[in-house]
Amino acid sequence: MSGYVPRRRQASALATQLRVIHALVIRDMQLRFGQSRVGYVWLVAEPAILALGVSTIHWLAGHGLQHNIPVFLFYGLGYAPFYMFRGILTRNAGAISNGRSLLYHNAIRLHDLNMSRTVLEAAACMPVILLLVVGGIIIGGYWPSDPGLFVFSLVLSALLAHGLGTLLAALIVFYEPLERFVHPFTYLMMPISGAFGMLDSLPESARELLLWNPLAHVHEAMRYAQWGDLIVAYYNIPYVLLWVLILNFMGIMALRAARPYVTTD
Amino acid sequence: MIELIDVWKSYRSHRTGLQNQILRGVHGRIRKGDHVGILGRNGSGKSTLMRLLSGVDNPTHGIIRREMSISWPIGGSYGLQQVATGATNARFIARLYGTPVQQTQDFVEEFAELGRYFYEPVNTYSSGMVSRLLMALSFAVDFDCYLVDEALSTGDARFAAKCRHMLEVRRENAAMILVSHNAQHVRQYCDTAAILRNGMLEFYEDVDEAIAAYQGL
Repeated sequence: MSGYVPRRRQASALATQLRVIHALVIRDMQLRFGQSRVGYVWLVAEPAILALGVSTIHWLAGHGLQHNIPVFLFYGLGYAPFYMFRGILTRNAGAISNGRSLLYHNAIRLHDLNMSRTVLEAAACMPVILLLVVGGIIIGGYWPSDPGLFVFSLVLSALLAHGLGTLLAALIVFYEPLERFVHPFTYLMMPISGAFGMLDSLPESARELLLWNPLAHVHEAMRYAQWGDLIVAYYNIPYVLLWVLILNFMGIMALRAARPYVTTD
Repeated sequence: MIELIDVWKSYRSHRTGLQNQILRGVHGRIRKGDHVGILGRNGSGKSTLMRLLSGVDNPTHGIIRREMSISWPIGGSYGLQQVATGATNARFIARLYGTPVQQTQDFVEEFAELGRYFYEPVNTYSSGMVSRLLMALSFAVDFDCYLVDEALSTGDARFAAKCRHMLEVRRENAAMILVSHNAQHVRQYCDTAAILRNGMLEFYEDVDEAIAAYQGL
């Protein structure tokens, strides 16, 4: 009887961590979207509906843009990346409070809970953004002027959200009510994120203020990557990278500090 | 080998904010192939000790040296996804610990004997079924040491025999630490025993001696 035991493969530390994250991503996906294959469609459908909805509203409202930039695509490409940022941020902030029972498996480190959420959220939003870009090419012939910068900006946005979300997740361990503020915070981020309008259209003083926010740089860079010289963009990639490093460093340190205080029951 | 050197653990009470001292200097050594029973009354710190051994929690003071791979604490419903099926849980464990996914699922299905319930969510299981699933899941991974927290106490005689057999088969490679308040279970599965009392662990070479001392408490 049952003499056979599945043997584990030997693996390096990196391979182990990737394996753990992979297992967590699939678990998360099943938890959020059920067991059926149709469930996976929702993973992408949710952000798609929101992005297309917001774009349609702006399109119907007839907000005109300079140089015949198509309204639908303009707002879609503003909203979808912001949706990804917000998704990664909020999912990360709840990573420990929702996932701590998983820590019984000691292969799972706190940061794995965060990384798996970032991966899943990004994987859900990227196809929507891709759909918008490809749709723009096919329907209107709007080729992104700098695809490399576009992808890089998206990655920066994800890393910003990951760092801030990780930091929040750790702080929530020390002060639980903070979790209540995450959602309102992401909404208040909207107008100062630069996702829904060009900084160029703002008075200089307001623009200077918004440029303290690294997310505004990211969205400006993304717009420039798509529309090129049709618009005037304000962004500074090293400034964003600095924020990415600081937030992620603080996040990891905070996770370390929080680990002894995470209760698993 | 697992070695505990002067292990202390306290938790801060949520209500009073005071430190609640659970373990006060635990020493111990568990070698390959050992089947150790740890007896303790309710509230003596058994689960705390399990959490420290598994690495879920760190001691306040002292050192735990682990030179073996140790399972998660097998009991309650620790480490299970309640809303997922037994099969989904098996695949999760396989991915997490790097065992072949399909083979692991087949192994768990055969060992746990849940019938069609294997494909139903865990939150519809009886406590006996949860225990069977947990034992099967942990046996599906080749741990060097199995931490069993009461999970063996709910199974019927036949399933108990099956688990004993499995532990015997793996004896060369694997140890077991069984935590229980029930002396009978320790007699059934273990060859040495220890009593957890006043936050300290007393080892006995002989199980019967330990049980006599425990029952004399």
